[in-house]
Formats: sequence, C-alpha cells, structure tokens
Amino acid sequence: MNATHSKPIPQPHERIRLIGTPVGRMVRIDDFGDEIDPLQREQLHAYGLSAAHAVKVLQQQPMTVLLCEHVELAIEHAVSRHIWVQPA
Amino acid sequence: MDCATSPAPATAAVLRTLALVGHPNVGKSVLFHRLTGTYVTVSNYPGTTVEVSRATPRFDREASLLDTPGVLALPSRSDDERATMRALLHEDMRTLIQVGDAKNLRRTLNLTALLAELGVPMVMALNMTDEAKARGVTVDAEALAEALGVPVVATVATGGEGVAALTEAIGRAAVPAPLLRYDAVLERDIARVEELISTHCPHPRLAARGLAVLAIGRDPEVDAWLATQPGSGPVRSVLAELTATIGRDSLPARLARERGGAAEALARTVTRQAAGKDRTLSMLLGRVAVHRLWGWPMLLGVLYLVYLFVGDFGASTLVGLLEEDFFGEVLNPAVTDFVTRHVSTPWLADLIVGEYGLWTMGMTYALALILPIVTTFFLAFGVLEDSGYFSRLSVIANRMFAAIGLNGRAVLPMVLGLGCVTMATLTTRILHTPRERLITIYLMALAIPCSAQLGVVLGLLGGISFGATVIWVLAIVGVLLFTGWLASKVVPGRRVPLVTELPPMRMPVLGNVLKKTGGRLKWYLIEVIPLFLIGTLIMFGLDRSGALPWIIEAGEPLVVGWLGLPPEASAAFVMGFLRRDFGASGLFALQSELSMIQAVVGMVTITLFVPCIASLMMIIKEQGMKVAALMLAMIIPTAFLIGGLLNHGLRLIF
Repeated sequence: MNATHSKPIPQPHERIRLIGTPVGRMVRIDDFGDEIDPLQREQLHAYGLSAAHAVKVLQQQPMTVLLCEHVELAIEHAVSRHIWVQPA
Repeated sequence: MDCATSPAPATAAVLRTLALVGHPNVGKSVLFHRLTGTYVTVSNYPGTTVEVSRATPRFDREASLLDTPGVLALPSRSDDERATMRALLHEDMRTLIQVGDAKNLRRTLNLTALLAELGVPMVMALNMTDEAKARGVTVDAEALAEALGVPVVATVATGGEGVAALTEAIGRAAVPAPLLRYDAVLERDIARVEELISTHCPHPRLAARGLAVLAIGRDPEVDAWLATQPGSGPVRSVLAELTATIGRDSLPARLARERGGAAEALARTVTRQAAGKDRTLSMLLGRVAVHRLWGWPMLLGVLYLVYLFVGDFGASTLVGLLEEDFFGEVLNPAVTDFVTRHVSTPWLADLIVGEYGLWTMGMTYALALILPIVTTFFLAFGVLEDSGYFSRLSVIANRMFAAIGLNGRAVLPMVLGLGCVTMATLTTRILHTPRERLITIYLMALAIPCSAQLGVVLGLLGGISFGATVIWVLAIVGVLLFTGWLASKVVPGRRVPLVTELPPMRMPVLGNVLKKTGGRLKWYLIEVIPLFLIGTLIMFGLDRSGALPWIIEAGEPLVVGWLGLPPEASAAFVMGFLRRDFGASGLFALQSELSMIQAVVGMVTITLFVPCIASLMMIIKEQGMKVAALMLAMIIPTAFLIGGLLNHGLRLIF
C-alpha cells in the first residue's frame, strides 16, 4: 500500500503524475494529458475529477485508488499516468 | 433472477410519468420500492438496474413512476445511460425526482446542472444522509432548495427516513433554476441549436435548450430522436458544423467541465465538512479488499466460505437430506405407489414415475437436486452483492482481465453470471464498448456456469475429491482466459482502461437479502420447472420411440471414444441442449458409474456446452441472430475438444 513512501515529497507548484504521488498525500488535479481518450476524460469529469479539485491518494497498487469527496475511485495506471497533479 | 424490468403498459401514453434519475448506486431502486411497493433488485454496486422499471406510485394511482438506470453523466454514453435518456425523450415526463448522494453533493449537482436545462419540474431526494453524517458532511438542504428553486428532501431510503416528506414535496416540484451560463462561444452555439430545435422540431416536454446541450454533447439518443423528426434537417446540419475542437478539449468535454465548475461552486456554499470518522471497519475492509497483497487471501477466503455454504452445506447436506432421504425414501416411493395403483395405462404411469418420468426425473431434479443448491447460492450471492465486495473484485481482477482485452468492470456480469447467465447477459450493458460486451457475452456463454450447474458440479466433484474440483476450476479458468485472449486478438477495437467507483462496504440487510433470494427463487421455479418438464418429456419421447438408444449408439465414438465417458452420458448431453444444469444433473445421476477422470471430463464438457435456451434468447436479443449462431457454432466444438483433450491428458497423468 505504501510502496511509494520513499519517493521525495513534491514541493508546492511542482507538477507530478498522479501515478507517482505518494500514498496518503492530498493533491489537486492540475490537468489531464492528451493521451486520455475524450470519452474517458468526460468520465473523469463526471466522477468529479476536475482541475483544482483536491483528492487524497489511498493506494497505488494494483491500481491508483483516490478519495474524492468521500467517494473512492479506482483508476488504472494507464489513466493515472496521464493525470497531472499538484500538492494540495 | 427476479425480473427488474416491466414493459410499458398499453395505457402508458395517457399516464403522467414521474422518473427517478441519478447516479449509479445512490438508492434509486430502494426509493422506487418505498414509493411504489414494487420490488426491483437492489444491490451495492453500480449497474444493478440496466433497464427502466415501471410501477404505479402509492401517492398517485393515476401516474406511472419509472426507476431508471444510473447515469454517471449526461450526455449518455453506455447502454444503461442510453436507456435513461430514451425514457426522458419518449415518456410523457411530468416530474423528475433526482436522487443524489448527500456525501458527494458536487457530483450530484453536476448532473442537476444538465437536468435543470431540460425544463421538467423536479424534486431532489438527497439520499444517504446517514453515510454523509458519519463522514462529517452536512448539507444545508434549505439553502440548496433556494438556490435550485426546487424542493430538496434529505432521505435515508434504506430506513425509510424522509420518504413521506419526499412524497409531499413531489406535489411542489418546480422547474429548476439554471445552474450556469456556459462561456460565450458555447452559449452562442447552444442558442443557435436551441432556436432551430424550437422552430423545426420542438419536443412536447423537454426544453429546446436542454436538447441543444445534449445534442452538442453528442448524445446518441438525442441524435436518434432528431433523426426521426421530420423538420430536423437544419438542426442536424448545424450540429455537423460544431465538431471543431477548441483548445485540447472536445465540445462535450468543455460542456462537462463548465458544468463541473458550476456544481463545485454551489456545493461549496451549501456543504459543511466537520471531522468525520477517519477509520471505520467498513473503510478498513474496503481497503483490504483491494490491497495488492491482502486482497487475494481475502478473495480466497470469500470463495472458500461460499464453497462451504453452497458446495458443502447446500450441494451435499441439503441435497442429501432432500434427494436421498426425503424424495428417495419417502416421497417418490409414495408417488410411484399412488400412480401405479391409480393409473392403469402403463405408458402413462411410466410418463409420470418411470425412468424418464415427469415426477421421478423432472420434478425430482428441479426440487430435490437443484433447488437447495440455488437457494444457498442466491443467499450467499445476495450477502456478497449487498456488501459492496463485487465492485472491489473489479480492481483485483483488472490485471487478469487486461490479458483478455477487457477491464475489471467485466467481472461484474461474469460474477452475476454465476447466478444466472441470462440476466448477466443483460447486465453487460454496463460495459462501455460493443467490443467489451461481445467478448464478455461470448465468454459467459462458453465458460461461466450458472448457480444451478455450479452447485451440481460442486456436489459431484466435491464428493469425489477436492483435487477433482481443483482440476475442473483450472480447466474452466484456463479455457476462459485462453479463449478470451484469442477473442481479444480477433475482435476489432481497443481495450478501455478501468476507472470505477468503489461503493462503501456495508453490512448486508437480512430483509433485502431474503427478499432478493425469494424473488430469484420465484424466477427459478417459474423458468426452470417447465423447462425441466419439457426436457423430461423429450427424453421420454426419445426413449419410447427408440431414438434415445440410437442417439446413445451414434454418440458413442464422441462420448465413449473421445471423452471416455459411459455410453449413457450421451443422454446427459441431449438434456444439456435444453439447460446445462439439466445435463449436469443427468451426469450427477450417473455418479456411481463414473471414475474421477470421467466425472471431471463430463463436468468440464457440460460446463462448456451450449448455453441454456433462455440465455440463448437473451444473446439473440442483445447481439442478434447471426452473432448468436456464430457463438453456438464455436461453443459446441470447443466443449468437446477441451473435454477430449482433458480426458487424454488426465489419463496420461493418473
């Protein structure tokens, strides 16, 4: 669950990939990469993942699991790799 | 499984229609039950309702209330979302009851932002306020009602709280105030399409502006509706022009983003977040269930408990008590005695209590052999689906499903298929692409045994040895993965990565589990008993006409030579054409004559054999006759090929 704890803590305004975010950290959604399919982008918006929104990373393996306003979302690495976040 | 849908009544056109709409898994079906008294399947995972259900509400006997499939967002994308959109477009929609999740108001309002544009009077049921409270979330319902201009009622549908207030509020439903104005460019486009719709093809109930937003968002159902409107030519021409992407976002994504912004702004002003419980047993269990290491022991533990309850208690203890002790020792001798004394025509007596008798075979298989198994299975299944565990399985299984070109979401129909492949085929509508649906339906038709068949398999193989059961599991999973891998290479299209919500783990409510089990058993008895009786009648006819011995003889090279089974097993395969569990029961009846290898080979072959008639009908409904015929043409040879290979392989080892 906390395999990524050893990674350096990102500084404010530093943009990192969601997949690389340490477990337990609060981050703000910054942007979605072009690699994410438009339909999946709509799906992410519908789940409440939109720019500047804060989410908590609960888990990174086997998938990225987020807490987004009391709702847990599981996101496959193929997508979380292309979601850019900033420390909250 | 119990039927969760009902066709539109003939009088639907003259009935006022109200509809429950909202995100998946927010309690629409529970509210539907509370408001109508009609039970539809309710579970703790998104996608339980895939078709619109209809009933008369208790508060207005002149109206019709719809329970619609959950929509993650509108414009609609998946088949279940399209079913909801169709209901909005084609019903005489007078009132919308939006059911929202109180602990995630922002998402609820995201949908409200679009529904508000449709111009239909609305009421909001802010459901699951108990769960929101446990997490420290309070929503100011009055302030929200004022901002939206519609009644907002806090509810806990499972406990019935707020339902009376909601019923009262429906009479005060009002057209919501718009939540946002889109940016100037989007507004210009919307206004252009809106005006054309108003002029050329106005909808009798839905506002032109809402339809314009949906049409620009490329909603396939609105597109289809426009195509049927005689004057829609100019609208469609303008829509065709509006495909240009501005910046990196498509038009639908920009619309969704702006609605998201408006929803967030309103949610902030009416929601208060206090300190909630950080760690509850439910949260802990939820995390363990999807943990990369602990998730697997938990899965094995769950499977083992299900095996103990269904395979051991249901298929051994209960079947032993019913089939051997009650039917074998008491009931069947009494019925046989009664029939032989009162029916003087020998063939008629034989038809009722002979080797292929309607009572001694058809009813005995259905009631003494299958009923205890499906009862225990449905009970275990109900507990698991209400716990929220199934959604978490999709995370654990995602990597394995990636190998067969699917994502973990496909685990839901497949697990449901263990209950009933027919209903599970319908549930594939929760999958996002036609490719995913095709592969999943094929794999279910081939390698997912239904509860009745599974119980017979576990009952027979479990009685032989645990190893025999393991070989059967490995063979079926192996076929599932290999065939899925092949299908993913052959069926065109690309795999969609998984993004899914994980509903909270909840303690199953006994009443709901019993109600669902009762509904499913009713369905079972209604569907299975006639088929078992028809099957028995066919077997009787074949036997009396001399065709059965001929079939057994003709099938010998395949059944005896290739599969290594006794010649009588041919009869089981004939029975399997009607229902696989009927065929499995035929093999079960031969158990004293079967060696371990024969039992495993027989059960693997019959598991992979043709889907039951009801499933086949559903496949035809969902995929068309051609695809269904092609599936059948591939499934039958595959079953015998795998059975034969297994027979020869096992004989080399044992």
